[in-house]
Amino acid sequence: MTVLASSILKGVIWTRRLVRLAPLLAALAATALMGQPSPKGGAALSQWWAPGEDRPLPAYVEYVNASGRLGILNASGEIATDGHPFFEPIGTNGRACVSCHQPADGMSLALSSILRRWQDSKGTDPIFAAIDGMDCPDGAPADPASHSLLLERGLFRIALPWPPVDAAGRRITPEFTLEVVRDPTGCNTHPVYGVAGERHEVSVYRRPRPAANLRYVASSRFGVTPFIGKTGALSAVDPDTGRPVNMNMMADAREPTLKTQAQSAAHGHLEVAQPLSPEQLGRIRDFELQLYAAEAYSDGAGDLNAPDGPSGLGPRAMAEGADGVLGNNTTRFVFPMEDKWADLPETGDAAQRGRNAFRMSVQRGHDVFFFRTFWIGDAMHINTVGLGNPIKRTCATCHGMHMTGMDTANGWMDLGTTNHPWALEPPESPWAAKRPELPLFKITCREDLPPHPFLGRTIYTQDPGRALISGKCEDVGAIVIQQFRGLAARAPYFSNGSAASRRDVVDFYDRRFNIRFTEQEKVDLVNFLSVL
Amino acid sequence: MRSYYRGWMLGALALGPALAAAAPKPGERLSFVACPIVRDTRSVPCWLSEYAGETYYLTIQSDVSAAVQPPMLGHRVLVEGVVSDAPRICGGVVLAPVRLSVMPERDGNCNTLLPADDRYTIDFNPRPPGPSAGRLAFAPDRAAPVSPSQRPEGPQTIELYFDFDKGVSFRHPADLVAILERARQIAATRGVVTGMRGAHRLSDGALLEESDSIGQRRAEEVARLLTGAGLEIPLSVGWKDGEREADGVDDWRSRRVTVVLEP
Repeated sequence: MTVLASSILKGVIWTRRLVRLAPLLAALAATALMGQPSPKGGAALSQWWAPGEDRPLPAYVEYVNASGRLGILNASGEIATDGHPFFEPIGTNGRACVSCHQPADGMSLALSSILRRWQDSKGTDPIFAAIDGMDCPDGAPADPASHSLLLERGLFRIALPWPPVDAAGRRITPEFTLEVVRDPTGCNTHPVYGVAGERHEVSVYRRPRPAANLRYVASSRFGVTPFIGKTGALSAVDPDTGRPVNMNMMADAREPTLKTQAQSAAHGHLEVAQPLSPEQLGRIRDFELQLYAAEAYSDGAGDLNAPDGPSGLGPRAMAEGADGVLGNNTTRFVFPMEDKWADLPETGDAAQRGRNAFRMSVQRGHDVFFFRTFWIGDAMHINTVGLGNPIKRTCATCHGMHMTGMDTANGWMDLGTTNHPWALEPPESPWAAKRPELPLFKITCREDLPPHPFLGRTIYTQDPGRALISGKCEDVGAIVIQQFRGLAARAPYFSNGSAASRRDVVDFYDRRFNIRFTEQEKVDLVNFLSVL
Repeated sequence: MRSYYRGWMLGALALGPALAAAAPKPGERLSFVACPIVRDTRSVPCWLSEYAGETYYLTIQSDVSAAVQPPMLGHRVLVEGVVSDAPRICGGVVLAPVRLSVMPERDGNCNTLLPADDRYTIDFNPRPPGPSAGRLAFAPDRAAPVSPSQRPEGPQTIELYFDFDKGVSFRHPADLVAILERARQIAATRGVVTGMRGAHRLSDGALLEESDSIGQRRAEEVARLLTGAGLEIPLSVGWKDGEREADGVDDWRSRRVTVVLEP
């Protein structure tokens, strides 16, 4: 607790940010650390937040993870969760929003937490509900095999109508046909839930996205017009205002606003009997827009909230940062570090020297992320927007949003995480024990329209991504880029959970774009990602 | 089309050998379909192409603000340009102005990526290969005086140009927004949207034509987008083949949609 208390004290005297965060700091002084888990053992409270718990969510709280501690910051002060629609089991299956958006997991849901809940609840926790916590809803509830994708990769089933329908419920004629080539869960060929079944649904399997830092995610300050900047197609609009939105939420951008997302999730994941009321939707939205999550303490680098540290780290930086800002430049940066950890002395005791060495590794990792060029090629919605194919750029070209590392506007791209030939697949051989876990779809694009510019007219994919919403061939496998915050708290990564660790993420990109990172560059990148 | 080639030319070291068997003449118009070639440099890569034994410089990598944006490996490119007398860039004869259109179908033969070569350097660097300096490469100078824009009056004609055999793309959001704005300014009561199917006379004499239905598809798509974005006026939608015979002179103008707004 000493380090943590010191961190808070520094926060109080952090005058540069004091004015903006005054309400928060007042709340912090009063309540923040009450009963929070100890970072180094001791009488730690459960990190799991069950639906309907009446305990308040403090204005600021930290949760232990494998790399340090994640900070959760409520800019409006302590949240009373009693009766709050985000925290109450408002549906029929016992879930609340918080079930899959756990504070300790960066408002997402770590695989480690899922496994712990399976053990502790013997599979009865509401997160294992049949609707999407099973590979297909007709499985045996107590059988872990019925929940294999959730228990092995942290994936929930997302059932989408096929053919797709637009926001007004009108059927869209897709530019391609969809054929189920592989169906390890049985759901896509199911007589009820399958593509040709009674419900005409496609089942894809995705990770829950963090419900924090959404002021950035949902910002429409950059590049939002009635037309999508990368394609010229119509932007989605906020049904309350009629204004276009940035379409940066959810893996496939299918919901335009936090309110419509909440309504959709309440129906599809919580199985509510009645739609949420405007008052409930407003409370969920307001809560999400003031909530920030980021790693606050790194076991390697120390306090990430320190006022004399890099200005882009820690949850407090998230609370005061500017949204809707392109950071792929040397004026704003994606994750500002001001080179503060670029050249630290090899002095002090072993702990200090180790800390400085780790901090310098983080700085180098940042520089790899921001300045290390490589050829980005054949990536839909980045190589097709006037930059050329390939382009010699850096990670920050696609991950350019200031403070989050998302794309700044309309951020779906095909970076290869779900499409062949880049998507991770276990090797098929007589000697391979591991079998493919995810479905595989064959997409055949219409002959009378231009082909997908990089994959042609026949595409194999584990998840067609945005194409399941737009019906467009060019969107097959295009997934909205996720934020980088709280990564240490919420493995595995990518929308299909195909990267078990941050090292797996780095290795994927190294292979995908033939970057040829050195081992040192990989280590530095992983360390950098661990402090976000 | 903005002309920023002069700046490049002044700063470019053009050290490539003259390769042409028959040297192209300044002012000569060229129209050809060929694979693009990427030549890396210590800075941003150059984009080149070869035609009739000569290497032509097309553009460099910069950012989305560039008037001439690089094509794609994996696809051939339709090049329509005028031979310049400027010094070679990256070993290529400069085409300026030049219009590039990525051909839709894949072509696996278009895969040449040449390594950096000290003979080819680019001194004028509007955008480094990594992060920018805080502004787009060809963004207007913020310090420059801005002339007051005149409010449009009477019927308005706006033209949207397209890549070969393609519909609406990243090139068009600004044009579409401009149409909405113009319609609002003149209180438009009706509009006419006409899609064109282009044809191109290539330098070797061949005629390159777009697919039969592309004019219709473009017109219907533009009308649908404008209506979907809230343009609540009757739109008459039509389409036709290119209005003139392709002659190799700015044939790219036939790949277009014309929107006429009437008060």
